[in-house]
Amino acid sequence: MAFQEKRTAPAAAFGSALGLVLVAQLLFAVAAVAQDGQAQDRDAEAASGAELFQLCAQCHGEDGGGNKLYLAPAIAGLDEWYVEMQLNEFRNGYRGLHFDDIGGMRMRPMAMTLRSETELKNVAAYVAQMPKTSPAKTLEGDVDNGKQLYVLCGACHGQQAEGMEAQKAPALTHLDDWYLVEQLMKFKLGIRGTRPGDPYGVLMGPNSPMALTLKTDQSVRDVVAYILTLRAADHAAAK
Amino acid sequence: MIEQYLPALSTYAGDIDGVITLIAVLTGFWYVLCNIVFFGFIFRYRAKSGASEYITGEEKELKRWVTIPHLLVLVCDLFIIYGAVRVWVDVKQTLPEQPYATVRVVGQQWAWSFVHPGADGKLDTADDIKTVDDLHIVKDKPYIYELVARDVLHNFSVPVFRLKQDAIPGRVIKGWFTATDTGVYDIQCAEICGIGHGVMGARIHITTEEQHAAWIAENTPANLATAPAAPPERKPLAATALAAR
Repeated sequence: MAFQEKRTAPAAAFGSALGLVLVAQLLFAVAAVAQDGQAQDRDAEAASGAELFQLCAQCHGEDGGGNKLYLAPAIAGLDEWYVEMQLNEFRNGYRGLHFDDIGGMRMRPMAMTLRSETELKNVAAYVAQMPKTSPAKTLEGDVDNGKQLYVLCGACHGQQAEGMEAQKAPALTHLDDWYLVEQLMKFKLGIRGTRPGDPYGVLMGPNSPMALTLKTDQSVRDVVAYILTLRAADHAAAK
Repeated sequence: MIEQYLPALSTYAGDIDGVITLIAVLTGFWYVLCNIVFFGFIFRYRAKSGASEYITGEEKELKRWVTIPHLLVLVCDLFIIYGAVRVWVDVKQTLPEQPYATVRVVGQQWAWSFVHPGADGKLDTADDIKTVDDLHIVKDKPYIYELVARDVLHNFSVPVFRLKQDAIPGRVIKGWFTATDTGVYDIQCAEICGIGHGVMGARIHITTEEQHAAWIAENTPANLATAPAAPPERKPLAATALAAR
């Protein structure tokens, strides 16, 4: 009997190889069918905000506190409507499609990985409920001068920089100072807010009241320095 | 053969396919032959009753099972080296003497951006057209590309051209291509460059000279102030996402 088994070894090897090939083909076929099904049920099977945030956390940090090295600002606790709006801005090419928008070009493909409106809303809701962080101060500015300059900004962003959804103007107090400066400069230089069809970016574009008010780089730093002083007031209000 | 699965749309795509096919056929031949011999020997020298003969493999008639195929494989190597070097020199070591234009290709985490010469046909002038995600070129015209990276290693890959070239921070790497047909095709990054590597895609738009001239006229910066270009076409989400608010 043992002798018979040994004699059939080559045939068994061929049989095993053939079997492996057939099993592999079957697995591929099953995977293809499953993938097709997934495409149809994307909304039904949308990932949760916490799951989706794992990708965001790679740059923005587990606590959403941001990382300047990755050009990723603090996002924890941003208003849900604002996160949603900005993700749509990236996805629709209003942000992250300018040749000089280095940070935006990093973010745009990340926003494109969201597979549905449901997932977009899920991750926006998750970011919004995260506890706000207080990014460290990295620049100096003339707070008094910034306060005077901010009067105009307050018309949309609120006098305490708390943000106004009706104006599509986000809260500013818990953003990084370097990020605020960078974005103001991008708006002024037309790197952001100039894509045709962008309904909100244009409000901050190169010809906006903001750009006409913040004429110098120093005035940009001054107004950002003032905005950071409003963080304490925001904390007090939260309590 | 390969173009049945992926269009071959550069003048050298066929040559590269030829080298790939040559290597596949030669190595495939030896793979099949080795397996036939291997399993043949397993069958022929399968376990039998009685004492088995111990084979050292030192006898001449046994050694030739190794030496003859070895020499034949080396001969095959010569064919592969000749074919590969010939294509390498043409694709990687030679630039067209009279290019139609030079475009700059910029890789960064995680997007491709491009600088096209404007109507003057020269780079680094006021009418340059800068784009992100979209490279526009003319069919049947030799182009030189200047490839740079803003941050880390990337690889400029245009599958339909059979073109892959590393982009290295701090270096300007030149290469060339001539497209042989019109259409819109993929550009991808073929060098792991971070978490967004897999979604670092772009498109190459190959058009006729007339279409390209119209595109230049429409997108020249001086003209954009009065006649802005249309928003990008790729909108995976409902385009009304903002308007619906």
